[in-house]
Amino acid sequence: MALRLFNWIMAAVMLSPILLIIWMSFTPGAMFRIPLEAFSLRWYREVFAYPGFVNAFFLSLRLAAAAAGAAVALSFVAAYALARTRLRGRAALDALFTAPLIVPAVVFGIAMLQFSNRLGLYNTFFALVVAHVAIVTPYAVRSIAAALRAVPIEMEWAAMNLGARRGTVLLRIVLPLCARGMVAAFLLCFLMSFSEVTVTIFMTGPGYQTLPVRIYNYLTDQVDPTVAALSAMLIGLSLLLALIVAGLGGFKEISK
Amino acid sequence: MSLARLGIARAAPARRAGRNGAGRSLAWLVAPLALVMLGGYLAPLAQSLFGSLHPNTPAGIDTARWTAANYARLADPYYAGVFLRTLRVSLVISLVTAVLAYPVALYISRLRPRAQAVMLLVYMAPWLVNVVVKAFGWSLLLRSNGVLNEVLLRLGLIDAPLHIMFTELAIIIGLVHGHFMFVLLPLWVALSGLDPNLRWAAGNLGARPAQIFWRVTLPLTLPALLAGAIINFTMNMAAFATPAILGGSRVRVVSYVAYEVNLVELNWPFGGALAVALLGITLILIALAQRLARAGGRAATAEAA
Repeated sequence: MALRLFNWIMAAVMLSPILLIIWMSFTPGAMFRIPLEAFSLRWYREVFAYPGFVNAFFLSLRLAAAAAGAAVALSFVAAYALARTRLRGRAALDALFTAPLIVPAVVFGIAMLQFSNRLGLYNTFFALVVAHVAIVTPYAVRSIAAALRAVPIEMEWAAMNLGARRGTVLLRIVLPLCARGMVAAFLLCFLMSFSEVTVTIFMTGPGYQTLPVRIYNYLTDQVDPTVAALSAMLIGLSLLLALIVAGLGGFKEISK
Repeated sequence: MSLARLGIARAAPARRAGRNGAGRSLAWLVAPLALVMLGGYLAPLAQSLFGSLHPNTPAGIDTARWTAANYARLADPYYAGVFLRTLRVSLVISLVTAVLAYPVALYISRLRPRAQAVMLLVYMAPWLVNVVVKAFGWSLLLRSNGVLNEVLLRLGLIDAPLHIMFTELAIIIGLVHGHFMFVLLPLWVALSGLDPNLRWAAGNLGARPAQIFWRVTLPLTLPALLAGAIINFTMNMAAFATPAILGGSRVRVVSYVAYEVNLVELNWPFGGALAVALLGITLILIALAQRLARAGGRAATAEAA
């Protein structure tokens, strides 16, 4: 009984900042007042009227799509090779592909800041894509490896017996058979890239910022309910993507 | 993400490895990803490591000379103080999280499977929400004219608003919330894996519920608790956005100082040394946590056998 009460209190604490933002986003005034009677969508309109947020949103969208797409494509062939061969040094490869889960984001952010400057790539889209591909690769490799395990190798043998070459087998047999897992992997990577903050803050100067970095800078400067409305929309987007990924079974391999 | 740090989610071994060398020709398919990770991940890290061994001069980084001065500077009272504060705050967060997560994990592990999934989703929700958004939510709650103060004032529990924002307490609250799942999930896994016969047998032998908890359940799940708490500690130590928004320049932590050194002072060799120090502490602690998790796995199976 006490455990149960405690659990509900903790659950409420977990959700409180999230629910509070959503509630506050409907406040009509410029001050943060919990809206009790009045209800307004004013700040949602403000979000779209502020080019800083709109531009950052499209940058984030392009970045997340490019990084997730590249990571999923590269991880697909890599995971396939790892699943179908006995490679020497696979432990080292595994460590390389999952290192971003262990190395703190601040450390990689600092490294990327210095490295991209050395190469003259600081504040470029290319450098951001490379960094984000590295950040989401562990998730892509894990979930695609899990999807590949469900592909029966007999199908591949049959196709090759009938004269299909390896590339054809990969694209026409293996890919369709694990399409679900690939979609889940892509969405998971997209979500991770879209919400990445720390590495990106180190890598971007003013004027070229992803949406979470823009919000971060906005918060250190001023606070008005526009951020609440934007945050509420981001919460909705994240939850939507997460539900789709969960529905596709994409979290099983990551969280177990 | 950090469950992987425990080695719980290690990739399964290839079940059907290629045969008759047919696989050998496939091996090059790992090359593209390996090259991207070598060039885009390992190379930057290595570059920072080597960069931290050169002196920073007004004319730029002197790559001709090698020095350990950047690391010696970490012992400066100012930087040592920042490290100590970061370690202390991270430790408090881990302890508080462990104490709060245990009863929750215990409660969830005894629910029916469907209810378990729903409750876990509630505790996973903060993980799915952007870290900047979460910190913003807490700032709305904790500000001097924020919701918490307003409620407490109206209830007459306090006379003047509490100043929580820009203190260590604000960082602690934000990160206990943000990293809760990473202690809860391994605990839940360990508690769900306990053989229910153990509790039943202990009860049969006359142990009271409290005794069963302290002498059976807790000792068997202690490795998972410690491993989760250590992983949690490394995440607290390296967190950037949450302490920056809730603590700001009034409560500087290592990651905040690393930001200033790298992007304001532009002292990259020293900035690299800060990064390497942070990475070193993290790797040592994670090795410790993995050893604990493995020992826990062995203890649980031995106990059950």
